[in-house]
Amino acid sequence: MWDGIIIGGGLAGLTAGIRAAERGKQILIISEGAGSLTYSSGALDFGDVGQLLSHEDHPYALLGETVVHAGMEWFQNLFPDYRGSWSEFQEILTPLGAPRKAGIVPRSHNTEPLKNAKVIILMAPYGLKDFFPEIIKTNLLKAYPQCEVEIFPFRTGTFESWHTIGKPVTGMDYTKYWQSQPGVSELKRLLDSLPQTSGETVILFPGLAAAFCEPLKEVLAGTPFPVIEMTSFPPSACGHNLYSALKQKFKSLGGELLTGTGVQSIESHNKVCSRAIVRSKGRPTAFSADSFILATGGIFGGGIEATADTAQETVLGLPLYVPAQWTNSEFLGEQPYARIGIEADRELRPVGPGGKEVLFKNLRVIGRMLAHWDPWTETCGGGVSLATGWFAGNQL
Amino acid sequence: MIYEQDRTENLDACIKCSACTAMCPVAAVNPLFPGPKVLGPDAERFRLEGLQIGAALLNYCSKCRTCEITCPSGVKITEMITRAQENAKLSGSGKNLQSNIRDYLFGRAEYLGKLATILPGLTNTLLRTPLFRQVLEQALGISSEAPLPTYRKKFNPFGEGHKNRKQVVYFPGCFVTYNDPPTGHAITKVLEHNGYEVIVPPFHCCSTPLEGNGYVREAKETAKKNLALMNPYIRAGVPLITGCTSCGTALKEYAGLDVSASELQAYDLFEFLWALHEQSEFRTDFKEVQVSLGYHSSCHLKAQGIGTPSVRLLRLIPGVRVTDLDQGCCGLSGSYGFKKEKYDTAMQIGNPVFERVRHGVANDEFQSVITECGGCQVQIRHGSGTETFHPVWVLMQAYGLE
Repeated sequence: MWDGIIIGGGLAGLTAGIRAAERGKQILIISEGAGSLTYSSGALDFGDVGQLLSHEDHPYALLGETVVHAGMEWFQNLFPDYRGSWSEFQEILTPLGAPRKAGIVPRSHNTEPLKNAKVIILMAPYGLKDFFPEIIKTNLLKAYPQCEVEIFPFRTGTFESWHTIGKPVTGMDYTKYWQSQPGVSELKRLLDSLPQTSGETVILFPGLAAAFCEPLKEVLAGTPFPVIEMTSFPPSACGHNLYSALKQKFKSLGGELLTGTGVQSIESHNKVCSRAIVRSKGRPTAFSADSFILATGGIFGGGIEATADTAQETVLGLPLYVPAQWTNSEFLGEQPYARIGIEADRELRPVGPGGKEVLFKNLRVIGRMLAHWDPWTETCGGGVSLATGWFAGNQL
Repeated sequence: MIYEQDRTENLDACIKCSACTAMCPVAAVNPLFPGPKVLGPDAERFRLEGLQIGAALLNYCSKCRTCEITCPSGVKITEMITRAQENAKLSGSGKNLQSNIRDYLFGRAEYLGKLATILPGLTNTLLRTPLFRQVLEQALGISSEAPLPTYRKKFNPFGEGHKNRKQVVYFPGCFVTYNDPPTGHAITKVLEHNGYEVIVPPFHCCSTPLEGNGYVREAKETAKKNLALMNPYIRAGVPLITGCTSCGTALKEYAGLDVSASELQAYDLFEFLWALHEQSEFRTDFKEVQVSLGYHSSCHLKAQGIGTPSVRLLRLIPGVRVTDLDQGCCGLSGSYGFKKEKYDTAMQIGNPVFERVRHGVANDEFQSVITECGGCQVQIRHGSGTETFHPVWVLMQAYGLE
């Protein structure tokens, strides 16, 4: 018998799991996949919190400012490798080298040093996949017109067989190498070999992902010039490293993570959930708990199954808010289907149509599964997952 | 297995994001391996048109299923690759005589075991003789560096024989039967300590090695022989227990052969003990055991979707500290890592596990490693130089049965 079972092991589910485990709760996370953090940049967006708090049904509005703030602060205490501030945005670089705003970012991603730089050296690892140094250079010159941008191509011995057969090296592979012992020494040698210039030079290094890796952080701290990183196209090492760090934290607090298979149903009686029935090999396995958290994600994560004309919540078949019109002809404009999800009360418990009746007393819904928010136009994906995850883990 | 009509649909679900390949432990260390995306959904399009591409590369897949867990669209990549392997095997492509003979032998762990345990001392001496290992490598393609397990006098399940009204059938598996009989006795004792009579019919190999080496038809035949031996117990509702996670996965897959899923009560040992614990029928008269252990979860345990019941259970023992190593595959993958052309790949796949173990031991986090899988035990010992054993031994100590 667990204190809590969390269905879904992405950012929201792991956040809830860690927060509850920190409070001494026995937690089981059942996760069909590996979350979608590997598809994210690794930076967490909070959006314009002040404005979103005033959107009546938005998850921020359900929880209130104090909770959203608490989630952000908690995350930064948990992972000092990330930085952010309640009152201001952090600036980071897109994979094409253009600056953009974000909420909490890996420390080494913050572009602050570029503002006073005269020279940017853009490291160009040979064969790095989805990496376009010339475009990045153009974008950097536009954003930081006071700078000169030099592209510094280099190749390490490790990937020679990749190069020989013409196979690109993914950012994830480069990162794994940099984090290995030979990689750390090679990086040190490489950075030492750069021309010694004045204090106004900044190194821009793609495919590095130093957060959570002590030896790498040590090398970067020892250089005479700031080294900053940039985000990458998915699959992204930074997003993946955050996923690993969350998983590790959860397990080190005694949490159990069951991956690779999903929950087929939840048994309940009188609006109280009692057992999660897992699709395990051969025959289903039942796991009992006092409380449950649903963090199965949205359409991409698999929590919502959408066909051409219907949308369904996959575990309990909970009623969903579905807009009358799903799409908008403007490709990059607001897409109404983004707001499909479960409507919840202030405790994040699912409610029936009309918002009056609480459907399950000991079930909370968190993350992408909640209705009435749009991670793309509101850029608040990380914030909603952290705030709702933290809240659910704190209440459990 | 997915149905024929779902094949194209499942194929179209691939959004070409490459996350599977980025997470694939084989692709990360072997550049010639194009990865799950290419060998799975990409090549499947050609295979559906009757074209075989990259048949020789298919066998490099270690079947760890990381790709399937990673895939956001639920594409059954490992299944696609496994089916393509079977078809390639049937059409004879991508193989030579040497690897055919070798895979034939590795698929038959039971016969190898029977042969080796006629004179286990002689077998072990030979397996430790460099010259003999060179011959094995040259003649059969079995790596001379691979940590082939030592053989012992065959597991003799009789002799304990407590009669009790509560019964379980124990499936020891080839590793316990031919390489590690003491663990078989330990499992028997722990079950008896909890009030069960332990019955061990003369089982055959579970069939995992046959399937892993591409002998799917033979695997089914062996499974049916085992089912025939289990049949009276299945009918009487006696649970079937195994301490080996690969056997456990195979046994649970028997459901649907000659037995329905609801009839077949197959359990991993710790899954069974945990179920007893939940019904307050598990004995917790533990002595304190002051020990810190690193726990490695085998791929075949992950495949069962039951979590990590041994970690849960051992944490009930006063003094026991268990750290989940939280790493991927050890690289051995049955007999994959014993093969000459795959030994290096297997060692590199396992490297994160070995590094984590060495780091943990050096920092006094734990002294030894526990894992249910015999293959993982052998490989982690080989790769990290750290002692490894089955978690049941911790229970033995706590019960004072050693």
